[in-house]
Amino acid sequence: MRKALYIAAVTVAVAPALLAGQSWRTVTMSHQIEDNSEIRVFVEYGAGHLKIGAADGGVLYRMNLRYDEDIFEPVSDFSGDRLHLGVESIGRGFNIGRNKQSGELDLEFARGIPMDMDLEFGAVRADIDFGGLALTDLDLSTGASQSTIDISEPNSVGMSTARFEIGAAEFEARHLGNLNAERIEVDAGVGQVTLWLNGRWQRDASVSIDMGLGALELRVPEGLGFRLRKEGFLVSLDSEGLVKRGDWYYSLDYEDADRKVTVDLDAAFGSVKVVWVR
Amino acid sequence: MFKFLLRSSLTALGLALLAATSTLEAQLRDVVSKEVAVGRSEAALRLEFSDDGALEIAFEDGLVVIDGDVVGMFEPGDQLEAAWRSLLGQAVSLDDGELAIMLSDWSVPAGLANDLADLAREVDRALEDALSSFEITVSSNSSRAPVTVAGDPGSLLSLFLNATGELGLLGEALAGLRGEFAIHVDEDVVVPAGSTVDGTLVVIQGDARIEGEVDGDVIVVDGTLELLEGSRVRGEVRLADARLVRNLGTVEDGLVDLLEEERVNESEIRSKIREEVQAELRAQLRREIRDMTRLEFSDADNGFSLMAPFRSVFRGVGELVKNLISILVLGLLGAGAVAFAGTKVDTIADTARRSPGRSAMVGMAGTLLLIPVWLLGAVALTVSVIGIPVALVWLPLFPLAACAAGVMGYVVVARNTGEWLADSEYPWTGWIRKSNPIYTIFGGLFGLMLAFMAANVLSITPFLGFLTGLLAFAGSVVTFFAIQIGFGAVLLTRAGRRNEWASTYDPDAAWERAMDVDVEVDVDETADKVDEDSDDA
Repeated sequence: MRKALYIAAVTVAVAPALLAGQSWRTVTMSHQIEDNSEIRVFVEYGAGHLKIGAADGGVLYRMNLRYDEDIFEPVSDFSGDRLHLGVESIGRGFNIGRNKQSGELDLEFARGIPMDMDLEFGAVRADIDFGGLALTDLDLSTGASQSTIDISEPNSVGMSTARFEIGAAEFEARHLGNLNAERIEVDAGVGQVTLWLNGRWQRDASVSIDMGLGALELRVPEGLGFRLRKEGFLVSLDSEGLVKRGDWYYSLDYEDADRKVTVDLDAAFGSVKVVWVR
Repeated sequence: MFKFLLRSSLTALGLALLAATSTLEAQLRDVVSKEVAVGRSEAALRLEFSDDGALEIAFEDGLVVIDGDVVGMFEPGDQLEAAWRSLLGQAVSLDDGELAIMLSDWSVPAGLANDLADLAREVDRALEDALSSFEITVSSNSSRAPVTVAGDPGSLLSLFLNATGELGLLGEALAGLRGEFAIHVDEDVVVPAGSTVDGTLVVIQGDARIEGEVDGDVIVVDGTLELLEGSRVRGEVRLADARLVRNLGTVEDGLVDLLEEERVNESEIRSKIREEVQAELRAQLRREIRDMTRLEFSDADNGFSLMAPFRSVFRGVGELVKNLISILVLGLLGAGAVAFAGTKVDTIADTARRSPGRSAMVGMAGTLLLIPVWLLGAVALTVSVIGIPVALVWLPLFPLAACAAGVMGYVVVARNTGEWLADSEYPWTGWIRKSNPIYTIFGGLFGLMLAFMAANVLSITPFLGFLTGLLAFAGSVVTFFAIQIGFGAVLLTRAGRRNEWASTYDPDAAWERAMDVDVEVDVDETADKVDEDSDDA
């Protein structure tokens, strides 16, 4: 992370040369931890490359943003327990033909401060790592995006429900067990969704997946009690390593597993594949 | 909390004034929030401190702005701007203490021209003043109170005294005092009869009751003062946001109410506001009276006037004239259509007469689809790029064409109505000559708008409002269906170019219409009879 910051520093220093003839603006914001108990975080980002991770030191949040100031304006509002970050379109200029993908938003949040996280982004390439954050609630909504979510470290506080609303996207979530969520809801429109059910499950959980059209790959660690129920019109299921009893497909060691995860799948068209991982 | 802080601060101040031991230590303020914004024409730094203070320095469009004030100018790309951007480049990766140290250590770059050097010094001073803080620790035998003040140490006390309204007032109350003090904060003080207080007595947020003597001044802040009979103050009495509830004693140097001037000013402001409000109310009243008078003479709907009994007559006649003008305009349009496109008008009229239900359905469907078709057409033409010039014509002409079709349809239905009226034996329809389409169009227009005109006439008379409304409603229904049937007939016949929905040629009917006789002729029977006659012969 230090390295990234130094790179940002150099970028800022040489910005006049780099920005000649462009409308790019770079904004770096940070806020120190004060007497914060729990904060509600709302991040909105329309287009570009989004990175989210955990911050080191006594920083509550740090935001490095590069954006086209003819189209967007940064949002940074921290009042009470609400933190609103991101960019908003200002409706100035003619957007067609602009290279929106060049914008970047790099966010870091404090470890250990309980956060109710609400993320909304559109045509975004997102690399998000919630590892180390203390999430009390998670709502993630994407448009046409390519998103990789990782929870590389267990969430120190539990949450009742984590919600992922995915539009037309390539979406991959890793270490979902580390979310420490009682229930995970995935609502996907069209696209390729890969869910890794690895990580440290601290309790039994249920995963609800509602898919329109696309391919779903469930990567299940061996030893996890796993069962799946599928409802859908034209959905193929590759159920290798599962045993069907009634409406449910069970993993072979379901009854003996320490932690059990129930997946309830409702899909219209597409394919579902269960892959066992070590 | 505030009370506690105030008490602590005031105690510290009081003790400081009493020349208690104190230490002064410089340190850096805590930066809680940092914002660095760098763009093509802007390089800005915004800091927020833990004590709610803030600093904003921006190099923007050739101007150097500190906390909203323009302090100088620079040339984009000059040495100063380069140095500032370099500083911000380092600031990006630092927070809080490291950031404060780095910023406060910044110094004027060497080799700057005079003007730029002065500007750089201004920026440097702003950074140092904002980032520095000073802590005074005031100690006495009984208490120890730390007070932290940000900014220049030279103005430390004045900053402290003016930090809030209360403290500013206290500073004013304590100004110029010398000698011994006895300060009481947040407690009541009684000077018993027969006792003497040496020096000045200061009571803050408390009540003072003087029965004995004070060998100095008495200062009361945010409290009350009672001077009982036989009491004596050898100096001055100062009241700061305090009240003198009883004055039976002796005050040798007089009494000063520090808020008296403020109260006088407040009273003056209040009376000024009162006068302004009264003046505004008077002006508003005058305006309302003038407006009411004007309305009265301008024959407004409300209120009584000499013209009131004739209002309904004028209104009714006016509406009637409007309808007659409408008939005239539509009739002329119809006459023009007959003159220039008589065949097409015939086709449309025939379709409307022969297939009124179908025409009405098509008309209503067409009406509903008008706006979607218009919008979709515009979008399709625009998206196709090639069709953009056509879209420019489409946008204004499509609504015009739709209106023209509606008017044409209505006129054609009026013509049919006129023909029907000519065949009828209703009174006042004898003037309609069926053979002349101009007559039939005007006659039909009168027929279609009869309900409206009857409503206009009835509106002149009192007590018939319901009937007037009913007739207006009937007229609206007739007009609606006439337009729908006519519009549908225009659509069905493609503006009179297709006659597949019109009647096929019926020679009997044509003969009947031509002879205007009510005789049924059986052609076969007639032919047989002719044959029999010829055989007989």
